[in-house]
Amino acid sequence: MDELNEAIKKFQKELNGGTSSLVLLSVLDKAESPMYGYQIAKLIEAQTKDVDIMKQGALYPVLRSLESTGLLESEVEPSVSGPPRRYYRINEPGRMTLAKWIEIWHQTREFVDAILKGGDDD
Amino acid sequence: MINSVEQYLSKLKKELSGSDRATIQDALSDAEEHLRTALNSATEADPQISEAEAMAAIVEKYGAPEEIAAAYKEIESRTPSSFARPIYKESEAEVAPEVAKPVVVDTRPFYVKFFGIFADLKAWGALLYLIFALGTGIIYFTWAVTGLSLSLGLLILIIGIPIAGLFLLSVRGIALVEGRIVEALLGVRMPRRPLFSRKDIGWWQKFKGMLTSQHTWTAIVYMTLQMPLGIIYFTVIITLIALSLWGIAIPILQLGFNMPVGQNWDTYYYLAGWMMPITVIGGILLLTGTMHLVKAAGRLHGNLAKAMLVRE
Repeated sequence: MDELNEAIKKFQKELNGGTSSLVLLSVLDKAESPMYGYQIAKLIEAQTKDVDIMKQGALYPVLRSLESTGLLESEVEPSVSGPPRRYYRINEPGRMTLAKWIEIWHQTREFVDAILKGGDDD
Repeated sequence: MINSVEQYLSKLKKELSGSDRATIQDALSDAEEHLRTALNSATEADPQISEAEAMAAIVEKYGAPEEIAAAYKEIESRTPSSFARPIYKESEAEVAPEVAKPVVVDTRPFYVKFFGIFADLKAWGALLYLIFALGTGIIYFTWAVTGLSLSLGLLILIIGIPIAGLFLLSVRGIALVEGRIVEALLGVRMPRRPLFSRKDIGWWQKFKGMLTSQHTWTAIVYMTLQMPLGIIYFTVIITLIALSLWGIAIPILQLGFNMPVGQNWDTYYYLAGWMMPITVIGGILLLTGTMHLVKAAGRLHGNLAKAMLVRE
């Protein structure tokens, strides 16, 4: 049973590996001003309500890697209460990449859905 | 059971042990930023809630230390090291972080390997860094010596303590800035974000923490060391480059401008014609050798900076 659970979790984790970048870029693309990690996590939580497939802590390394690939920019600002916060903002290459990613996402979803539905028709 | 931010951070640190030190520092500051902000808003929403209760809910959402550590390790393994030579990038990126780095066998012929150094960004970065090290070294040395003697001298009066505190803070700032320069020019991964100081302790505790942290003192030693090292780097590099350029330029100087290679009172020394190709070839070889030396020195200095400026 443990092995089966492991396989289920692994599938979710591998999917998240790709979708988390897409989700974060899209959140920052819609944002009017730069956002920090906790804000982003709260926003995602509010918009997805019961769905809990991504740990908030796992968003941070993705933000970092998006920045190092040059799709996001960030700066640290001190906050009134608590530690300084890193504010992330999407840049032009990020926007262009996001448009392509959304296209790929739609294609992938149609592709997978078509296969899954195809099984039902038979 | 995790009852406080500090407890979470120390668990996360333990889970991350073995990965890159700079990754650990980044992961810890991300976690601290998130957990403290979340804890603040939890206590604002419900002043009655105990820290342990609030932490349990926050960690449930943020993820357990082992999950988060795994996420950082995975990202680190996907990020190629800066300045990696493009042809080797792929083989490097595929390897998991725990596995030792693959031994990349350089199959290029000897002469390409030797002269290819001029196309190596790392060597040029190191050259820039090592020459500038004289300047940064003088600044760091002056700052460290002035700060130390001013704080120690004024410690008999009460104002020595705030001055020492400010000085130690500035040392941390300089360590971070120097780390950024080292990463950019020498390609050694260094912390990208400052360490947070704990919020739940007073000024005096923070001061004592900085005073007893080994990292503060190794950073001061590094700042002091940077000047003698900078002088050595600068002198050796400039001498070698000047010598090799002179060797290369001898035919032009002697045949074009009738300049002697040496002079003793009114005796002028000129090289025989057959010697000139030798000095030119010697100059080119020496210049190429210097670039190799510079690259090696840059790597050594990068490791030194990492050992002394990044907290364990």
